[in-house]
Amino acid sequence: MNSIEVDHLTKKFGDFVAVNEISFQVREGEIFGFLGANGAGKTTAIKMMSGLLQPTSGKAIVAGYDVTTQAKLIKRNIGYMSQRFSLYNDLTVFENMQLFGTIYKIPRTELKQRIMDSLAALELTKQANLLVNSIPLGWKQKLAFATAILHKPKIVFLDEPTSGVDPIVRREFWNLIYQTASTGVTILVTTHYMDEAEYCHRISIMADGNIRLLGTPEELKQQVGVSTINDVFVEYVKH
Amino acid sequence: MRTILILIKKEFLQVFRNPLLLSILIVAPMVQFMIFPFCADYEIKVLDIVFIDHDGSSVTQDIIHSFDASDIFVPHGIIHNKKEANRMLKHDKVDIIVEFPNHFEQDLMNGNATRIAITANAINTTKAGIGVGYTQEIIGGYMQEFKEKNMVYTSAEETPANVNLSYIYWYNEQMNYKNLIVPGILVILVTLIGCYVTALNLVREKEIGTIEQVNVTPIRRWQFLIGKMIPFWILGMAEFILGIGIMKLVFGITVQGSIPLLLGITAIYLLVMLGLGFFISSVSENQLQAMFIVLFLFIIFVLLSGLFTPTEGMPKWAHHINYLNPMSFYMEVIKKIVLKGSTFISVQKETIILSVMAVLVNTGAILSYQETSK
Repeated sequence: MNSIEVDHLTKKFGDFVAVNEISFQVREGEIFGFLGANGAGKTTAIKMMSGLLQPTSGKAIVAGYDVTTQAKLIKRNIGYMSQRFSLYNDLTVFENMQLFGTIYKIPRTELKQRIMDSLAALELTKQANLLVNSIPLGWKQKLAFATAILHKPKIVFLDEPTSGVDPIVRREFWNLIYQTASTGVTILVTTHYMDEAEYCHRISIMADGNIRLLGTPEELKQQVGVSTINDVFVEYVKH
Repeated sequence: MRTILILIKKEFLQVFRNPLLLSILIVAPMVQFMIFPFCADYEIKVLDIVFIDHDGSSVTQDIIHSFDASDIFVPHGIIHNKKEANRMLKHDKVDIIVEFPNHFEQDLMNGNATRIAITANAINTTKAGIGVGYTQEIIGGYMQEFKEKNMVYTSAEETPANVNLSYIYWYNEQMNYKNLIVPGILVILVTLIGCYVTALNLVREKEIGTIEQVNVTPIRRWQFLIGKMIPFWILGMAEFILGIGIMKLVFGITVQGSIPLLLGITAIYLLVMLGLGFFISSVSENQLQAMFIVLFLFIIFVLLSGLFTPTEGMPKWAHHINYLNPMSFYMEVIKKIVLKGSTFISVQKETIILSVMAVLVNTGAILSYQETSK
């Protein structure tokens, strides 16, 4: 079953076409990677799929709901992690999770336990009562991810979740993504790091608002005739 | 309900963790309150005066001495050189010059016409007007006594009429400008908390991106706005109550009317200002824009509100604009309840208008808030 179906989705800002008639499907439990240079239209596409931005034309069905007419229902079923860290820096780790958990209507009796479990999984239990602005970026990113999946969404959108964090935290982060996907959650992730692309089940490479390549990492490497996704990207950027 | 409560909790946590915001909210307005009423004051307390005495007689001496008894005038001596006096006026050493001509006493005794020249620095027209008025009053008083002592009245008609005018200034018996300006400052404080702080708060969330994380949740926009509004509404009311306390303790101004009525109408006025603040933050991209819009509206509100100048003196078009100015209605309410002790009947019209404004502005704020951008 597909959890995301995108059909000729387009976004124009005036004359500028940010996303140009992209189409693809993502299966349930799949880790789908969105690759592309800066300004390729990845973030705009994600914002349309998560109900933050109205598409200019085309269609997208996310978790069974239409983005143009059923944004509220979509929002209930997705988790979203912005490119820019956007939890409250002047609240503690626990307070941030409590705030968003409550907004997502997680029952009060269950919420505290879920937060503590989630922090334990991230090894952030000791930091629960620290203000977010006092913890390092890598931890912040892990916290943002934990907050995005606290309400057990069907789909999680991760917009450059690992930019600016060290290799160890990146590795931990991808372990989290794998764990989450193994429970049947669909993950749509954008990244600049080509090694990370290798971890995805399927990837798409975007440029100038269009999807240029789409397939499993193996397929793309064969198609271009190189041995790494990095080479695929470089080869492809040359043309 | 749970959602709104957690939002209120979040807002209070943030306010109390932000020392700058806290000081903007509490300390700065209170300091303003302590300072502003003493500066924004039309009362003239000091008038520097110098005399040019060409006569040098006992009469001119007596007149000059009668200025010594005044609390307001600070005499800067007697000089004989007009140029020197003008120089003093030019350099702001004195505000008033009183010049007695030659043979002043002699002319007076002989019943001939004579005149005293009063020159005032009219850069500050209020000060000049009041200064000349006081000078005339003192000289006039002396002349009256002088006549009574020296004149032989030949007939009853020439007797100075014994008419004593007495004045009672209602609602502000001491004619104290503070009685008007202090409640006025209260209005300004409530307006600033309501409009300024909330507008900046919401637009800041836009700037740092936290609003995106909220917008991607299934929260309803009215829930979000109410969750923002209630904390600032509570802070505004707390500030107002603190203000009434200071007004009583520092300035000795007691609310003449019903305090619950005053609080009730303040609550409505705060809703108008909170809604306006949110509306402004919805249409602004960043804090700078929001600040300029608030400042622009604020100045118009204050100038038209009747705090500094009576609204009655304004041209017709200003009156028309004032129908859109929530501050002018609220100022009216404050003046009536605090100074006059008016009851609900006298402020009914203002209350209804403010309530309608509150509904309209907040509807506008909710509608203009975009959770999904175009």
